[in-house]
Amino acid sequence: MKTWIKILGVLLLFYAHIAGLLMEVPRLNIVNETIRATYFHVPMWFGMVFLFLMSLYYSILYLRKPSLELDIKAESFAHAGLAFGILGILTGMIWANYTWGSPWHGDPKQNGAAIATLVYLAYFVLRGSIDNMEQKARLSAVYNIFAFAAMIPLIFIIPRLTDSLHPGNGGNPGFNMYDLDSRMRLVLYPAIMGWFIIGYWMVSLRIKLSKQLDILLDLEDEKLK
Amino acid sequence: MKNLNKALLSLLLTFLITFSSQGQDAEMADVMRSEGKIYVVVAIILLVLAGLILYLFLLDKKVTNLERMINEKRKTK
Amino acid sequence: MIYRLIVKEFTLELRRKSVISGIALYLISLVFICYLSFSLRLSVISEAIWSALFWLAILFSVINSVAKSFIGEKRGLSLYYYTIASPKAIIISKIIYNSLLCFILSLLGYVLFQVFISDPVQDTPLFFLTLILTSTAFSSALSLISGIASKTNHSNILMAVLSFPIIISILLMAIKVTKNVLDGLDWSASYDELLNLMAINCILSGLAYLLFPYIWRS
Repeated sequence: MKTWIKILGVLLLFYAHIAGLLMEVPRLNIVNETIRATYFHVPMWFGMVFLFLMSLYYSILYLRKPSLELDIKAESFAHAGLAFGILGILTGMIWANYTWGSPWHGDPKQNGAAIATLVYLAYFVLRGSIDNMEQKARLSAVYNIFAFAAMIPLIFIIPRLTDSLHPGNGGNPGFNMYDLDSRMRLVLYPAIMGWFIIGYWMVSLRIKLSKQLDILLDLEDEKLK
Repeated sequence: MKNLNKALLSLLLTFLITFSSQGQDAEMADVMRSEGKIYVVVAIILLVLAGLILYLFLLDKKVTNLERMINEKRKTK
Repeated sequence: MIYRLIVKEFTLELRRKSVISGIALYLISLVFICYLSFSLRLSVISEAIWSALFWLAILFSVINSVAKSFIGEKRGLSLYYYTIASPKAIIISKIIYNSLLCFILSLLGYVLFQVFISDPVQDTPLFFLTLILTSTAFSSALSLISGIASKTNHSNILMAVLSFPIIISILLMAIKVTKNVLDGLDWSASYDELLNLMAINCILSGLAYLLFPYIWRS
């Protein structure tokens, strides 16, 4: 990963934090000042989806052409995505407690996020219970693809069918024009980009470490021989 | 072009209408802003963020070092 | 080949009478526990609770019965299949067999619910359509998961852990349609959910078909 990309990510995050706290925001009832949480809570959710998609991508690549490196990548992306997902759920709970009245409000999107987290927790349980490296990689790649496909209706279809407390309920699950005016987009999109980059950076560190660990294990094996 | 202008204008109008009708009376932390104390909060949050990112940078450096060392060791064998 | 594999599954199943009676007994005791714990007949339960209870009972018995489709098999037996049949034929036969099994189980569950609790179903054809759709969806999801879980060290725990997140979306749809049926709503009210169930069916069975060869290879 190039250094300038990292610096760009850091700058984007700094901008998002300053502008997110200081810029004018729409004055809306109920959410009041907490509308600013959009800048910090929503990027976690986007980051999670991005990282899980990357993990899915590497799992598919692995099944097409197995190699240890691809498995390490899929695993690391899933790991970081899980961290983002947990943070997204926790921040969402704080915000929900303030605006909807209780931390867990049975909102379809909230449930969808919780289930996505469950899927990847199951993914790591699965990885933990197989000893053979090659088999572990293959089975977890299969589960990753299968579980992701099973989550599609849960995350992208059910929220559209049922009423959601999130903005843009029914119809479009994203933000629509009235929920997010152009000033907020100016902060939200850079924040999402910034977190993508930071997430990718964290993942790349983890990938490096896992690779080195693997090389060390190989060296040990050679010594024993 | 004319159509675009018209669309933009109507968009702007809907914004104005929604925001003016959606109540300037919604309660915001205006006092905190006017006293300038919000800058204290911003400074603290930024410092925490900067610290964490510095930590990440140092960790990155350390891992890269480790990578180089292991590579050298492997070559010498 | 597929046909012969299905026939083989049935003959094997019929030979192991204890397994069938075990699953049936499991379902009966589940329904009976529901009956006792709600002390029904005295108080009436709402439609929402009926459909949730019904699907939970079905879910647990189905997971237990499908889990053994790969987990219960002996190592030598799977090696034998490996030599005579292609993995695609195996997974298709398993899915078809398991969906029949699931459908029979859910029918049995429905009869038991009629006997012990109540029969609020007003639109029987729609209810049966839901049963068929969900049992195929359950079987295609659970067959593949059972294949994965059979390769691990703690297959029984993993079977539950891995399948729950995948099953949830199917279960939610099924509960919603069932509630619509119980409320006596028109077909058009649950059109969306039925379409969704079909889509889930297509995705899951297609993926199971594509992914199974990778599991089978080892």
